Amino acid sequence: MKTITNNLRLFWQGTIFSYVALFAWFRPTTYAASKILMPLAQMIFFTFLGSYASGGTNVDFYVIGNAIQIVAVSGIFGVTMSIGGDRWAGTLPYLFGTPANRMMLFFGRAFMHIFDGALGVLIALGWGAVLFNVDFSQTNFSALGLTILVTTISTCGLGLLMGCLSLITANVMFVNNTVYFLLLIFSGANVAIDTLPSWMQTSSQTLPLTRGIASARTLIAGGSLADVAPLLLGEIGIGIIYGWLGYILFKWFEIQAKRKGSLETV
Amino acid sequence: MKFKNIVTYWRTVLTVAEITLRHQWNDSFILFAILIQPMIIAVLALFMLRGTGEDYAMFVVVGSGLTGLWSSLLFISGNSINGEHWQGTLEALVAAPIPFEVIVFGKNLANVVQSLLSMTTSYLLAALIFGYSLNITSPLLFIGSVLLSVLAFISFGLIIAPLFIMYRGIQQWQNAMEFPVYILAGFLFPIALLPSWTTPISYILPPYWAARALHETSTGAGDFDKIIFAWGMMLIFSVVDLFVSSKLFKLMLHKARVDATLETV
Repeated sequence: MKTITNNLRLFWQGTIFSYVALFAWFRPTTYAASKILMPLAQMIFFTFLGSYASGGTNVDFYVIGNAIQIVAVSGIFGVTMSIGGDRWAGTLPYLFGTPANRMMLFFGRAFMHIFDGALGVLIALGWGAVLFNVDFSQTNFSALGLTILVTTISTCGLGLLMGCLSLITANVMFVNNTVYFLLLIFSGANVAIDTLPSWMQTSSQTLPLTRGIASARTLIAGGSLADVAPLLLGEIGIGIIYGWLGYILFKWFEIQAKRKGSLETV
Repeated sequence: MKFKNIVTYWRTVLTVAEITLRHQWNDSFILFAILIQPMIIAVLALFMLRGTGEDYAMFVVVGSGLTGLWSSLLFISGNSINGEHWQGTLEALVAAPIPFEVIVFGKNLANVVQSLLSMTTSYLLAALIFGYSLNITSPLLFIGSVLLSVLAFISFGLIIAPLFIMYRGIQQWQNAMEFPVYILAGFLFPIALLPSWTTPISYILPPYWAARALHETSTGAGDFDKIIFAWGMMLIFSVVDLFVSSKLFKLMLHKARVDATLETV
């Protein structure tokens, strides 16, 4: 019982401290610019582009796709900062020197970003209703809320894997930015997946967001939770796989760094 | 900035541009901004705009190239003074007998010229991967538009860089400035789609006139008078931007010398 309590305390403290101390955008102005205005402007840009492409007939498709895609800002950039931040702050050796439960430490880094990302989607969908008249009258809101939560968790799973890369490469922002922009194509946020070449369709099925975006579109169009349940199960499964891969990489990295004495130079 | 300085110190401008290009070629963020991001935007736009008209591929090539130009100007030229500050070379450059804005002009020249790779990459992508047959309708006018766009972007960058270092509050909004200009300058869709109150904002943005000139000369959408008008606007904005930037540089250096805050600006 005591171990469980200690681990929960560690999880919670790691969650709060890593978010406050390592998330570089955690200042009011930077947060507003990078977490609210940038994603909003990106959503407006792709919605207008999509509207231009479709002759203004399919605006909801682009608004919903890009609003859900916003979870990638927290899921990828935020989680990476919370993991890689220890490297830049020089606290990684101390972290690896503690006897703390690694799983609690690792997954705690993503916890706040799940809620942060979900909040970003809600703001974006709100703007979608105000600016582009997206109709939510048929929407099952509790199912939509669950979809947003599941999609954010799965994207944070990918972020955990990317965050581990930040411990072994200095070019992680290059990789992160590239993955973030590739998701704009492969997740189906802006292009219907069935119109993509077959290899791209296959790739998109291995990524988070794809099923979450499809699920959100179905629910806003009046679908039920039962309609999207298989999509949500697939989405959370993908997230767990990525998160677990990240955890394995994290453990492997710790062993290698200790064995080679390369903690200071990573 | 005095135009005379560019002529007098042309050798310095070119040397700074060369060093900047050599220095930046290994920077992965720059490679992302000028190659990867525009290419991904081009792929997206090519998929999205399929079937909207025969000129859309050329429109996408130019538009996605412009996104690379703007992102590079915002993040790389915008931080061109900050970059020297972070490396500890700012004091030496300011103390040099050559006007500081000449050095920043050379850096911006390198940034903008290397950003033209965005357009070249998008062109190759559309032609080789997507198999489009791409023709520039008015090649000579297009080259003229590229040259004037380069001047307009460099001049605009000379305003952004001192603003970012003097007023950190503005720089913190940097991430939020990228997509609004994509939208307002009509890089990938006409600004007629936007609410009418945004049109005056587009008109005061040099990237909007660059986009107009480049789109009209590449796709043949505009007549000669419209192209000349866009060129004229780019020239006017360049002159105004150079004038305003000279005042900003003077203010920045004055503040730094009077307050002795060059290291901490």
